Amino acid sequence: MIDISSVGRIVRSSATVAVVGLMALQGTEALAWSIEEAAAPYRGTTIRTVGEALPPLEAMAELKSEFESRTGITVEIEMYEHSEAVNKVMLDLNSRRGRYDFILQPHRELGRFVANGHLQSVEGFMSNEDLRDPSFMPEEQLYQGLWKEISWYEGQVYGFPFTALTMYMWYRDDLLNDPDERAGFEAKYGYELRPATTWQEYTDIAEWFHRPDEGFYGTALQGKRHEALWYEWLNFLYSFGGDMLEANSGSECGPVVVNSPEAVASLEYYKSLLAYSPADSLNYTWDEVMALMQQGKVYQMIMWNDATYAVAEDHEASTVAGKMGFDIVPPQENGEAVGQVEGWTYLIPAGSKNQEAAYLFIQWMMEETQQLNQHLNGGATARPDVYAHPDVQAISYSQASMDTNAAARPKPTIPESPQITDILVRELSIYLSDGKSAQQALDDAAVEMSELLGDCAPLKFPVE
Amino acid sequence: MRTNRIIERVLDHGVAPLLLVPSVVLLFVILLGPFLFMVWTGFTDLHYALPNRDGAFVGFDNFRRLMQDDPIFWHSFWLTMKFVFGVVLVEFAFGLGLALLIFHYIKNHRFILTILLVPMMLAPIAVGLIWKLLLSGDFGMFTYYLRAIGLADLQTSILGNPSLVMPAIMLIDVWQWTPFVTLVILAGLLSLPKEPFEAAIMDGARPLQIFKDVTLPLLRPIIALVLLLRGIDAFKEFDKVFILTGGGPGISTEMLSIYTYRINFRDWDLGYGAVCAFMVYLVVLIMCSVFYKAVYWNEGRSKMAGKAAA
Repeated sequence: MIDISSVGRIVRSSATVAVVGLMALQGTEALAWSIEEAAAPYRGTTIRTVGEALPPLEAMAELKSEFESRTGITVEIEMYEHSEAVNKVMLDLNSRRGRYDFILQPHRELGRFVANGHLQSVEGFMSNEDLRDPSFMPEEQLYQGLWKEISWYEGQVYGFPFTALTMYMWYRDDLLNDPDERAGFEAKYGYELRPATTWQEYTDIAEWFHRPDEGFYGTALQGKRHEALWYEWLNFLYSFGGDMLEANSGSECGPVVVNSPEAVASLEYYKSLLAYSPADSLNYTWDEVMALMQQGKVYQMIMWNDATYAVAEDHEASTVAGKMGFDIVPPQENGEAVGQVEGWTYLIPAGSKNQEAAYLFIQWMMEETQQLNQHLNGGATARPDVYAHPDVQAISYSQASMDTNAAARPKPTIPESPQITDILVRELSIYLSDGKSAQQALDDAAVEMSELLGDCAPLKFPVE
Repeated sequence: MRTNRIIERVLDHGVAPLLLVPSVVLLFVILLGPFLFMVWTGFTDLHYALPNRDGAFVGFDNFRRLMQDDPIFWHSFWLTMKFVFGVVLVEFAFGLGLALLIFHYIKNHRFILTILLVPMMLAPIAVGLIWKLLLSGDFGMFTYYLRAIGLADLQTSILGNPSLVMPAIMLIDVWQWTPFVTLVILAGLLSLPKEPFEAAIMDGARPLQIFKDVTLPLLRPIIALVLLLRGIDAFKEFDKVFILTGGGPGISTEMLSIYTYRINFRDWDLGYGAVCAFMVYLVVLIMCSVFYKAVYWNEGRSKMAGKAAA
């Protein structure tokens, strides 16, 4: 006869041994995880991606060779101009060709991709012990707000930030500290010349430095009918207390508020700066104003953090490298400082044939070493530990980036958001070229946005 | 005998259509098929960006929206029509004048034609980029000289001014395509028979009379052809405008092809975009039939005149 109690003891002790053994094994696996072993099943695979031809992607192209030699996975990178990079991906996703194994896209495209079932959530890869690097802990290692805004949609994680972008004020620090300029400015305006802390100061400074007959301008607006115009105006809109939709996050729809009195005031103020901007401003995008700054022809502007390196640090490309200062976008009088969240995100298409290999590469790129390298070469990381690194702290624009990231506000990422952008770009451009009043332009945009979004987006400020 | 007759019949009637099959298939695959698909798409709500818009049949909704509810489309349409008539007329006037000058006064046609054809041989994108630099307000050579002679000041921006930008784009098109008109008309002039001119001179006609009553009527098919080709091409104008202004400032240069591109490849509203593209096709078709009739009307008139003389 078998003693039940002894069987129970045996089972219990066997189970304990098994659990301890398993835990030990797991611990060993965790310790032993390496990119080489994780990538072994995918050795010989080629993964392809596409993104915007800017320093962060160029930096990635430099870094990838180490990943390739360690894993045997080849990474092919296609670089295009902003709109072209978006169009290529749209065509690929909709044709279900699966040309790209992972993609780099502006985060405002997220809703459109998710709603059409084009993306693979990375949650499965993150919980796969064979793929997940135990030392990769995005929940702790990334700015959570930026990660959630740039790479999540409706509570699902679809990737990791490729760049955490924002815009802030660029100005000529050398001219700011020029004794003659300081004295002259103070004599005229009655206060000390300093980086603008209000929009009134921004105007005064632009007026003071605006010397078109010498080929030097107070500021430079990105007034071409192009996304750049919309992005730039958003800084003014947010700073004046306006918004496009009344929503708490990018993936939410809400009442249309783009024609609020604050929004109209911000647009009128924005246009007033044309008086201190080059004559060609209505034909400028970020490329042209960046070139003007590199040539030393402008005193101040609102620009992107991922373009800063080429102006502030790259002595070969810029005549003003080492002469620049950076600060958060000025707030309204007595208002709070704000910035905008923008970012390009790593995403894995649902039709990708090499999702695991793509995940491994993305995860590797998110490591501190790669992030630091990319950031120092013109990237815009979402890792706070990279910002804390002494080399990054030494960069002239790090503080402005961090301050703006802390105050950054989300923008719509719903499926209709690219169309909202298009509507606003058109109306802003019509207003800048004197085709309508600011109120009329924003009213027209609001009506069209409300019709596009339907019931979830009534007009908060009715249009007559 | 019977076998030979069958082979002859097959050769006469059977093989010829068979030989046409590859061309017909090719035409169907690259022309008719996509066209029919575009027409069909125009009757659907296909939208790549929005969910639940996966190509359901919506009847004439897109056509209704285009006719009744899209002022920007009609702005673009009339802007394009003005552009087409403007540039084609000016190019024709300059092209004809240049062709007559070369025909009558320059012996070495080849050299002058080579020089003239340079703008036409450039890719439209390159033309756009060249003129973007020339017209730049900061360092553009064209703007610099306009300022030097007092026609512009420091605040003048040709591409940023809604009232200057369209004439500027039209002038660039004239610069690019007048040589083509010159070339075709010159070829026509060189191929004209001499007898009618000799007869007119014998009859004592003055040069202007010869030009009006002999040269122009004989050139009519050539003129109709060149106007047709330029008209179709101008109607589809895209590259230069896209590079120079992207349709702005505002909507001041948003021509039909730019608008259609925007609907299709920015908004990804392919159902409605197909209707916009169909309208472009429809206008080009009408232009073709009008010009085609003009050519054949002339031929018909010549034949009738010939019969009457006989």
